[in-house]
Amino acid sequence: MKRLKKSDDGVRSGGVFTRRSLLVGLGQTAIMAGLGTRLYQLQVSDASRYRRLAEQNRIDIQMFVPTRGRILDRNGEVLAGNQEIRRLVIIPDLTNDLAHTLKLLGRIISLPQDRQRLLLRRAAKQNRRIPLLISTGLSWEETAKVNVLMPELSGVQTESGYERIYPMGADFGHLTGYVGAIERFEIDDDAALRLPGVRIGKAGVERAFNDALRGRGGHIKVEIDAKGHILRSLDKTDSIAGGDVKLSIDTRLQRRAMHRLRKEKRASVVAMDIHSGQIMIMASNPAYDPQLISSGISRDNWNKLLTEPGDPLNNRSIRGQYPPGSTFKMVTAMAALEAGVIDEVERIPCYGRYTHGGHTFKCWKSSGHRRVRLHDALRVSCDVYFYEIARRLGINALSAMARRLGFGQTFDCGLLEQKPGLIPDEDWKISRFNRGWLEGETILAGIGQGYVLATPLQLAVMAARIASGREVTPTIVKPEKPENVQLANSLGVNEKHLELVRKGMFAAVNEGGGTGSNAQLPFSEVLVAGKTGTSQISRKSSYRSNWNLKWEDRDHGLFVSYFPFKAPRYAVAAIVEHGGSGGKSAAPLARDIMTDLVALDPINRENSGPEPAPEDGQLAARRPT
Amino acid sequence: MRNLLNNNDLADHRRGFSDRIWSVYWPLIVLIVCIATLGIIALWSVAGGSFTPYAERQTLRFLFGLALLFAVSAVPIRIWMTMAYPAYLAALVALIAVWQVGFEMGGAKRWINLGGFSVQSSELMKVALVLMLARYYQMLPPSKVSHPFWVGLPLVFIIIPIALVLRQPDLGTAILIASVGLTMMFLAGVSWFYWIALSIGGAISAPYIWETLRPYQKERVLTFLDPDRDPLGAGYHILQSKIALGSGGFSGRGLMQGTQSQLNFLPERHTDFLFAVFAEEAGFAGAASLLGLYLVTALVLMSMAVRCKSQFARLLASGAAIALIIYTIVNVAMVIGMLPVVGAPLPLFSYGGTSMLTTMVLIGLAMSAYLSRDEVFRR
Repeated sequence: MKRLKKSDDGVRSGGVFTRRSLLVGLGQTAIMAGLGTRLYQLQVSDASRYRRLAEQNRIDIQMFVPTRGRILDRNGEVLAGNQEIRRLVIIPDLTNDLAHTLKLLGRIISLPQDRQRLLLRRAAKQNRRIPLLISTGLSWEETAKVNVLMPELSGVQTESGYERIYPMGADFGHLTGYVGAIERFEIDDDAALRLPGVRIGKAGVERAFNDALRGRGGHIKVEIDAKGHILRSLDKTDSIAGGDVKLSIDTRLQRRAMHRLRKEKRASVVAMDIHSGQIMIMASNPAYDPQLISSGISRDNWNKLLTEPGDPLNNRSIRGQYPPGSTFKMVTAMAALEAGVIDEVERIPCYGRYTHGGHTFKCWKSSGHRRVRLHDALRVSCDVYFYEIARRLGINALSAMARRLGFGQTFDCGLLEQKPGLIPDEDWKISRFNRGWLEGETILAGIGQGYVLATPLQLAVMAARIASGREVTPTIVKPEKPENVQLANSLGVNEKHLELVRKGMFAAVNEGGGTGSNAQLPFSEVLVAGKTGTSQISRKSSYRSNWNLKWEDRDHGLFVSYFPFKAPRYAVAAIVEHGGSGGKSAAPLARDIMTDLVALDPINRENSGPEPAPEDGQLAARRPT
Repeated sequence: MRNLLNNNDLADHRRGFSDRIWSVYWPLIVLIVCIATLGIIALWSVAGGSFTPYAERQTLRFLFGLALLFAVSAVPIRIWMTMAYPAYLAALVALIAVWQVGFEMGGAKRWINLGGFSVQSSELMKVALVLMLARYYQMLPPSKVSHPFWVGLPLVFIIIPIALVLRQPDLGTAILIASVGLTMMFLAGVSWFYWIALSIGGAISAPYIWETLRPYQKERVLTFLDPDRDPLGAGYHILQSKIALGSGGFSGRGLMQGTQSQLNFLPERHTDFLFAVFAEEAGFAGAASLLGLYLVTALVLMSMAVRCKSQFARLLASGAAIALIIYTIVNVAMVIGMLPVVGAPLPLFSYGGTSMLTTMVLIGLAMSAYLSRDEVFRR
C-alpha cells in the first residue's frame, strides 16, 4: 500500500511533468524557429548589404601624402620649406595596459606625469582604435630608443611626417601666407586631402599656388585584417611631390625693408621692376609669423591676431585701400593732356582756394601758388591746378585714365587677397547711391580724394607704367626663363605727355620747392622721380598742421617714385598710415628703400651674369697638399 | 502494476556496467557526434585549414568528453542521487574559492588553478545545480512543491551561485544558471501563480537591476539595443558578426573562404563567435541545419526525460536538455545580434575544454537517468 502511494505520487507529478515538458519543448522550438528566421533575414534577405560591408572590411586604402613644394626667393633662398618630424602615437586598443605602457615610455622619453594622466583621460573618452598622439618633435635618439623597445611597447607606433617651416618668420608672413587644416569645402578628387594632418595653403602664396605646391597624393590598396595588419598589397600609385615656387622677391631687400618699416607704426612698401613687373619688395607692418599659425595656433592667440588694432594679418601692400591723395595727380595730368584740356604752357592761377558751385576747395598752401604750369603744379603739388583740370576733364575721362594706369583692379600677380581699391565714375555713383554724379566730386577726385581709393601695389604699378610707358602688370613669381619674357604692350598714350609728367615728378624730388626733396638719394649719380601724397582721412585735419591731432586722426603719408630717372628700373610706392605729410613721412621711407635697391640692385646683377663661384676643383687645387 | 514495477526494478539491478553502456540511446550519441564534428571542421577552417592549434585539441577533448559521457551514464542513477548535495556544496566552495584566490583572465576572475588545471568553477556549478534541483524535487512530495517555503528554498539554491558568479563578473553564466534553474522549477510543477508573479515582479524590478549592472555590462546592453551607436567600440562584435553572417548568404562562401572570419575581423572567432564563422562559410543552409541538430538533440533529451519514472531522473534529463538549448539560444542570439554580447560558448561546438566537458557530463547524467528510467526511489 505504501508503495502504491509512492507510485501514485510519481504518476501525479509525472502528468504535470509531461504537460509542462511539452510546453517547454514547444517554447524551445518556437525560440529556435525565431533564431532561424532572424538568421534567414541576415543571411539571405539582407545578404547583399552585408556582403558589400564585408568587401569594405577587407580592402583598405592607405594614402601617401605628397611632400609640399617649397617657396623660394629669387635667389633660391627658402622662404617656406618642410622639416621632417617624428610623431609618436599609441593605439589604446592594441595595448594591454595603457597606463603601464605610458609609464614604460616615460622612462625613455620625456613624458611628464600630468601628460600621462591627460592621455589616459583622453583614451577613456574616445574610441580605442583611434591613435592617440603622444608626442611630436621626437629627437632621433628618442626615436631610436623607442624603436628598439617597440616589442615591449604594444600599441606604440612612430610616424614620420613633414611640418611646414617658415625660416624667415614675420618678414615674409604676408607673402608666403601659411598652411592649415583642410576644410570640408576644399576637398577635391585627391583623396589624400582627406587624411588627417594634411595641410593646405590658407593665405598668401601658399594659397594662391596651392595647386602647384601640393603635388598629388598616392595610395596603396591593401588587404588587412581587423587588427589593421597588412596581409598583402593589391595596387599602388606613387605620390607626386609638389613643385617649388620661386618668387621674384629678394630676401635681403625684403628683410631690410621690414626692418625699416618697424620704425613706423603701420606702413607698407612695394618695389617692383618697371619692365618685367617683378615685385622685389612687398612689405607691410605690422606683420605676423606664419610659423605660429601653421604649427597650430590656439583659439585665443588667433582671436588676438584677428582683433589686434594694427591688424597684423592684413597685408597692407595689396589690401590697404587709401585715398591716394596727390600721388593721383599724375593720373589727372595724363588724362587732361591726353584729352587736350590742358597743355604744358597754360598757367592756372592759384590763390589758395577754388570755388565751384558754392563750395570752396582749399589748396594745401593757403597763400596760393600764383599762376602755375603743369610742371610746377606737379613739383609743388598745387591742388587748385588739378581741381581746375579735373573739372574740365569730367569724371569718366579721369577714371578711364586711372584704370589704364592700374587703379581700380586686381592683378593676376600670385596673391589672391588683393583689394581693387575704388575708381568712381557716374555709373558707379548711380548704382552705389542711386544719385547723380556731382561736379564737386570730380574736383575732389582730381587730387585723389573723395571716393578714390588705391592700394600701395596699384600705386607702384602706376609709377612703373608712367616710367615705362607700357602696361606693366605686377607679378610675384620669377619667370623660369627671364630672357623669354616679352615686354608689356604700350600704354598707347602720347610719349610727349608721359615725358611731361615724368619731368614733373623729377622736379618734385630734385628741383627747388619740390615736395619730395626728402626722397633724394645719398648718391648724386642716381636721380629719383617721385610724387608725394597726403591723404586726408579726417575733416579735422584739413591741411592744418597734423601734429596737434590725435594719431589716428592724422593724414596718411604717401610717396610714389621710380628711378634712375634717365634709365628707369625700379618703381617704389610707400605709405605711412597717419604719418602726416607724405613729404615728411613716406618720402624718407621710400628713400631708404631705394638706397637699398641701389646698393643691392638685383636686376642689374642678374643681367651682368652670375658672379663666378669658385668651384670645388679650383679650391682643391689651391689647397696645399 | 506491482509486478511490473518489481520486474523493472529487478531489470535495472541486473544491468552491469557494460550492459548499461551498450544500451545507451544511440540516436542521441549520433546527434552529439554530428554537432561536435561540425565544430571541429569550423575550427579547422578558422586555422586556415590546419588541425593546429584548434581542431586537433578540440577532437581530443571531444573524444575524452565522449568517454566521460559513457562513464557517467554507466554509473547507476542512485549514486548520482547521493552525490547531488555534496556536488552542489563542492561547486559552491569552488566558486567562493575563485572569489578569494582566483586569478584574472580577460578581465574576469573565473578560473581557479587546480593543480595546473584551470577549472572554470562556474561550469561545475552548472552541473551541480541541475543535480541539486533534481534531487530536491525528488525529495519533495508533489503536494508541497508550490508551498511558499518549498518554493523559496530552491530559489536560494539558485540565487547564491548567481550572486557569486556576478561578482566575477560573468553576466552570461549568471543568466544561464538562472534560466536553467527556473525552467527546472517550472517543470517540477511549481504553481502558475508564482510564474505570473515572477513576470510582474521582474518587470517592476528591472530598473533596479539595471542600476546594479557594471558600466561595461550596461554598455553591452545599450549597444545591443543600437549597435550602430559605437561601431568600432562596443558595437564592434555585433556588427562584424552580422557582416560575417550576411556575407555568407544562403549557401555560404565555402570552407576557409569566409573573408570576415579568415581575415580576423571577427573577435573571439574560435570560441564564442565560432557560429558566425560557420554561418559565413556554410551559409544559411549550414547554420540552420546546425540549429536543427541542437533542437532535435534537446527534444530527444526531453523525450527521454518524459519516459523516466522518478522525478530525479526526469528533472536530471530535462535539466541537461534545458541547459543545452538555453546555452545554444544565448550564444546564437548573441552572434546574430538578438542578445547583448555575453560570454557564452556554443556547447559542443565552440573551442574550449570546460564547456565541452560540462555538456558531456550533463548529457551523460541524462543518459544515466534514461538507463534507470524505470527505477523509483523512496523519498
